[in-house]
Amino acid sequence: MNIKKLGKLALPYLVWMLVLVGIPLLMIFILSFMNTDGVSFAGATWTTAAWEKMFTLADTTNLQILGYTFLTAFVATVICFLIGYPMAYIVARSPFSNKFVILILTIIPMWSNSLLRNVALKNILSESNILDSLLSRIGLSFSIVFANQDQATFISIVIGLVLTFLPFMILPIYTVIEKIDESLLEASMDLGANRVRTFAKVTFPLSMKGVTTGIIMVFLPCFSGFAIQKLLSSGTVYVLGSLIEVNYIHDINFVSMLSIVILVLIFGSMMIVNKVDKEGATLV
Amino acid sequence: MAKKLIELKDITKMYDGTAVVDHINLYINENEFITLLGPSGCGKTTTLRMIGGFEKPDSGEVVMNGAVVNDIPPYERPINTVFQRYALFPHLNVYDNIAFGLRNQKVPKAEIAERVENALKMVSLPNFALRKVANLSGGQMQRVAIARAIVNKPKILLLDEPLAALDLKLRQNMQYELKEMQRKLGITFVYVTHDQEEALTMSDTIVVMKDGVIQQIGTPTGIYNEPKNRFVARFIGESNILDGVYVRQNLVSFMGAEFDCVDTQFADGEPVDVVIRPEDLDIIDAVGAKLIGEVSSSIFRGVHFELCVMVQGKEFVIHTYENRKVGEHVGLRVDSYEIHLMKVEHVEH
Repeated sequence: MNIKKLGKLALPYLVWMLVLVGIPLLMIFILSFMNTDGVSFAGATWTTAAWEKMFTLADTTNLQILGYTFLTAFVATVICFLIGYPMAYIVARSPFSNKFVILILTIIPMWSNSLLRNVALKNILSESNILDSLLSRIGLSFSIVFANQDQATFISIVIGLVLTFLPFMILPIYTVIEKIDESLLEASMDLGANRVRTFAKVTFPLSMKGVTTGIIMVFLPCFSGFAIQKLLSSGTVYVLGSLIEVNYIHDINFVSMLSIVILVLIFGSMMIVNKVDKEGATLV
Repeated sequence: MAKKLIELKDITKMYDGTAVVDHINLYINENEFITLLGPSGCGKTTTLRMIGGFEKPDSGEVVMNGAVVNDIPPYERPINTVFQRYALFPHLNVYDNIAFGLRNQKVPKAEIAERVENALKMVSLPNFALRKVANLSGGQMQRVAIARAIVNKPKILLLDEPLAALDLKLRQNMQYELKEMQRKLGITFVYVTHDQEEALTMSDTIVVMKDGVIQQIGTPTGIYNEPKNRFVARFIGESNILDGVYVRQNLVSFMGAEFDCVDTQFADGEPVDVVIRPEDLDIIDAVGAKLIGEVSSSIFRGVHFELCVMVQGKEFVIHTYENRKVGEHVGLRVDSYEIHLMKVEHVEH
């Protein structure tokens, strides 16, 4: 087919993207370099104040928040991968005829209301919890002891994030593993690779696409969300999302800057993952 | 006497309660090109997969070099396979695909490079090493799949309908090349196909299978000229099969006439199936002929004409170089040594 014709077909989509994505993004970018009164350009002036507020060494509070957000999101993503990959693999390679149902059964508990689930989790992780009060009736006790409050908060947040976003890691990985042609695994064994080597040299490289998708889909909400973090830390911990939540009414410029930072970091991590993926695909 | 490399002893494989392979006994000699031939669902691929170690027989023994290998996994058998759909690794380029087996054996790098290069030359794909598998044509993928298998210098190469997806011309070339390769490398080839022409062209030995049972084992000429039953006669080439009676030594009667024949292993008066190949029937003048009929159709097949002649309500297929008009009355003649008699099997119709 003629490329010019195809180009014309893409035009409505381009207009759509420009109006709904391109222009708003540009607005946010411009706002982050201004001093405005809400979302209004009346009496606005150019300034880099918002950026200085974030990236200044005089007061590193905001940078620390950025670091903490990244760390929790990163650890949660890694744990999601470590739990999600084996789960997806085992289900995809199981002999059941309706594997998808099995998969749904394993992740349905994670689809119960996230707020309730995290409230329950907070309760269980606290010193006097529901399990303890139940078990105490038969003379047992249950409580998780943390070294200090900071550690307790960090672990709680990571567990909360993992429980909430694990399905988003499992599903894409399951989909790619399920699609891998059985004859490729047979070919690998035929060529002298035992099961472990077949996994390392064939299954895993071929499932990298699902892994990439899973990582993006888990990392992205972990990095930009704030509700789970706020709930599980009883509001003691600030992440980038909470900075936006707190500031969006009175400091739209600062908030714009924050969303640009989040965007850049997410695009950056996507690019890194993509690069790793490509190398994984060719260097095995 | 050639050395037996593989032996299948009374092998049975069941799927969902039905025997896909039913008490098969077979041995394969060293350097033999053996073909498992049969219609789809006859158990030929399952048999191949049991030799390769991808399936375990439910009963019976797979013996290799004198040792039972039922429980040996595929990666420990001195066997490589060319899969039906090639099964090339899509995440690796041509070089890495071919080097896959050698790397598993921890062959030194320099030797891998040399052997991969030789294998690529062998399948006439030099300079293809860095190509992506996805960008190859069907014929090229096929060659890479063969190179990936033979580069490991296996004792036995299993080929599961490797040419099924190729077009006619390419298929014929590959048939020739595979046969050449087998002769040069001295590897035992176990080849699975449903294409009787392919089997006749390449094999040293053909094993005809149906419903999980071996019908006949023999050389291509043996199987073509002396099929054991109706199924084999029909499956290998075209044939006219008639009901007849073995009158006495060297005399058989069918279609209301008596003919000399050379088969002798029947009892006098025993009913037999008579097989006459289309190219063995000659068209003669109707006057004085034992079989007289009317030409019902004539198709030009390139080298020959394919005539259908109705004789007493029975249709004969004849291959001849001279065309006859539809509606013409002709006589048919067959030489005594070209009449092949088979025992009647009551299960067959």
